[in-house]
Amino acid sequence: MTYEQARDYLLKKAAEMGLEVEVLAIESREFSLRARNGALEEITQATQGGIGIRAVLQGKAGYAYSEERSPEALDWILAEARDNALLQSGSGAFLPEGGALGQHDLLGEGLSASAEQKRETALGFEQTLRSDSRVKNVMFAGYQETETFATLGSSKGVSGAYRNGYASIGGSAVMQEGSSIKQGWDMSVAKEFHALDPGQTALDFIEQTGRLLGAKPLQTGRYPAYFESKPFAFLIAMMGNFLLSGKSVQEGKSLWAKQMGQRVASEHFTLLDDPTLPKGLASRPFDAEGTPAQRTVLIEQGLLKSFMHNSETAKALGMPNTGNAYRSYKGPLGVASTNMMVEPGSGLQMTRGVILTELMGLHAGVNPVSGDFSVQALGLWVEDGQVAYPVENFAVAGNFFEMLKNITALGQTLEWEVGFGIVGTPMVQVAELSFAGA
Amino acid sequence: MLAESVVSDVLAKARQGGASFAEIYVERWKRRNLRMLNGEVKEATSGLEYGAGVRLFYGTEVVYAYTNDLSPQSLLDVTDTLVRLRGQVGQPDASGKGGLDFRKAVAQGLHSPKIPLTAQDKRYRIERLQEAEAAARVGPEIKQVQTQLMEWEQEVLVANSEGVWAHDNRVRTRYYTTAFAQGEVGMQIGSAAPGLSVGLEIFDLYSPQQIGQKAGQQALTNLRAKPAPAGTMPVVVGNAFGGVIFHEALGHLLETTSVAKKASVLSDKLGEKIASDAVTYIDDGTTPHGWGSSEFDDEGAATERTVLIENGVLKSYMVDKLGGLLTGYRPTGSGRRQDYTYAPTSRMRNTFIAPGNTAVADMIASIEYGLYAKDMGGGQVKPGSGEYNFGINEGYIIRNGRIEEPVRGAMLVGKGPDTIQKIVSVSSDLVTAPGMCGSLSGSIPAEVGQPHVMVSEIVVGGQA
Repeated sequence: MTYEQARDYLLKKAAEMGLEVEVLAIESREFSLRARNGALEEITQATQGGIGIRAVLQGKAGYAYSEERSPEALDWILAEARDNALLQSGSGAFLPEGGALGQHDLLGEGLSASAEQKRETALGFEQTLRSDSRVKNVMFAGYQETETFATLGSSKGVSGAYRNGYASIGGSAVMQEGSSIKQGWDMSVAKEFHALDPGQTALDFIEQTGRLLGAKPLQTGRYPAYFESKPFAFLIAMMGNFLLSGKSVQEGKSLWAKQMGQRVASEHFTLLDDPTLPKGLASRPFDAEGTPAQRTVLIEQGLLKSFMHNSETAKALGMPNTGNAYRSYKGPLGVASTNMMVEPGSGLQMTRGVILTELMGLHAGVNPVSGDFSVQALGLWVEDGQVAYPVENFAVAGNFFEMLKNITALGQTLEWEVGFGIVGTPMVQVAELSFAGA
Repeated sequence: MLAESVVSDVLAKARQGGASFAEIYVERWKRRNLRMLNGEVKEATSGLEYGAGVRLFYGTEVVYAYTNDLSPQSLLDVTDTLVRLRGQVGQPDASGKGGLDFRKAVAQGLHSPKIPLTAQDKRYRIERLQEAEAAARVGPEIKQVQTQLMEWEQEVLVANSEGVWAHDNRVRTRYYTTAFAQGEVGMQIGSAAPGLSVGLEIFDLYSPQQIGQKAGQQALTNLRAKPAPAGTMPVVVGNAFGGVIFHEALGHLLETTSVAKKASVLSDKLGEKIASDAVTYIDDGTTPHGWGSSEFDDEGAATERTVLIENGVLKSYMVDKLGGLLTGYRPTGSGRRQDYTYAPTSRMRNTFIAPGNTAVADMIASIEYGLYAKDMGGGQVKPGSGEYNFGINEGYIIRNGRIEEPVRGAMLVGKGPDTIQKIVSVSSDLVTAPGMCGSLSGSIPAEVGQPHVMVSEIVVGGQA
């Protein structure tokens, strides 16, 4: 049966069992081309999907999902979700009321191009990468596109669907100059195939990675830090999604839980979440529970203004639902940012310190609970306001809560980055961080 | 899982389309996940995952397709599409022929659960997690305890145009305890998470009391810990998950995934001395009930014990089928993938440093000022440059040959080829621990392990 038929089957069967259910089905199509030495080395073509339910019975919620759409598999997930719900001791679970949300197409003809054009894109990207004699090896390089179709329905009247997708080029290559070796990676993502520029992305890559060759050790010390947008985006995506999540707040894990309205960052810092941005990579008409998309100011000039909520966390904390419900068909209800944005400032004045170009090991080196972070970094040493030389083999450490309060300036240009979420941010200057090296 | 005739038809169609090699991978997963917070069930999830991946080689060019429509017509259509796709963007040829004689191999149950997942109900599981939670509450500072149980059952069939037909069953169980301690200066966590290719005997092998207590004590230790120092110094890396240092600094550089493209700093070094004499490094896919064990790899090859480095000399890489074609090295049963949505590539299984003979006390006694990294978090590496890192979950200062005050929040960073030359000594207390490893073919269960290891110098990323 189709996903729509499966959704209707589940809603009907659930009603017979006395269960309230919310059904989320995701279908996706992937096409990717990996190039190497002027030829394609791997072609991937796929269609895949699944259907997941949240079932509520006696104020208790349980989850189950399946990638099979046979009646037997769907009956199994209904029974499992009911059993899983009954394990809960609370009685406050509920499904939000909703209505018809319509069918939306956020992709349109974005991926319309011939296989030949896509092949040229993959090959062109790899060829330009290899055009610099310092590029010793391309580990992988290519084109990828994904198209998804999400369908939502519930016993409480929610019903809607949307089609979305993106195209990307990306890769990783090793560059060498003398005995200095650096491996870089980069990715460029767009909602439209024709917005991709493989030559430019490759040249950017060479510039980004090449400037790190010949890196010197960094002396251990405390210096001003200038985050480029990519490393700052990764850090803010990870920390913001934890500390500002209504779920972390509700479960007593976020240190910001009791600081609503208080100063959590310097007055230069404003952070918001906006799923309504036209062409935003994470834009969508409604969230995983069917709550319509809305723009939310999270931190305004350093003051904590809002957490991100789904219906459950909003109700539990007595705050307005911000429409940030997140769920994959495989997982339970959560909270996630969409297009998260750090508002640009009036520009930085670099004096002396370290430009951070990349952070590595964030999953291990950032403790979202304590705010302590210590991560491997790559960067450029700045002296007298000028880039002096690249630096390596060091870690940058600090406390996220203190760091936000020590932001002294922000760049003027917003750049969108992908990784741990979709985040737009300018360069960010922090008064001082700790650097461990030689 | 699929009729032999369907498999034969798919492989024959691919060969007729000019593929030099064709493979079909089919799997079905049943996964259950239970998360509790402060004694109450927050979320219980059950799932069925079911899909197939068809992989064709045209020489060393790969085309891959996956789907979760496993009807014979769909699988034939997918194969047709692949052949056409390759024809559309590559060079079509027609050397293939059908007709296959499969050598059927079925798992013998070497890693099967002693206590099957069906032996107890969900109440039993909740009670075990509640025991871990109670044990984690080692002091009034422990404000929250989260526990989680994951159960994975996977049935796999891999067949290929060379007559391989391997049917494997894999069951893995892991549970997590995380304690949140709150003091005047903030919040800190401690955690423990044992996992093996076992069933419910996980709770007997690692008692909830022991695991809960470990998480709780670690949270308390971190609460009173001062920021770690910054700079280059000698480090004693603890056993068990301490093995993550070699996983990052060395293991990933020995996978043909990067070696075949000469994109690893350790490419073309077989037979060379690449590490200090103290280092013998083994990747063993056959460890009974190991977290990363299976009877067959995800390309249908029997797993094996592969000695990678012996007394500092590089003996073997980890080789998958494509890596073998590209390098000429013999495949080592190392082809792995997260699931059918990924084509396989060479990956680690259960990888560990063999025991040495230095006493831990002697290592500590030899250090005037340094760090004891007792328990580790995850890490990351760039194989092309060898730059790696890993985080410390629990650490202590070593001063004048003695372990002293606890320190927190430090990442260790270095360059793999340098670090492995700086392994001064290895103790005899080998212990292994489970982790999830992410790479080109997705996130897979991989075990790391080592005895205590002393590194003469490494950058400790604490507070300057």
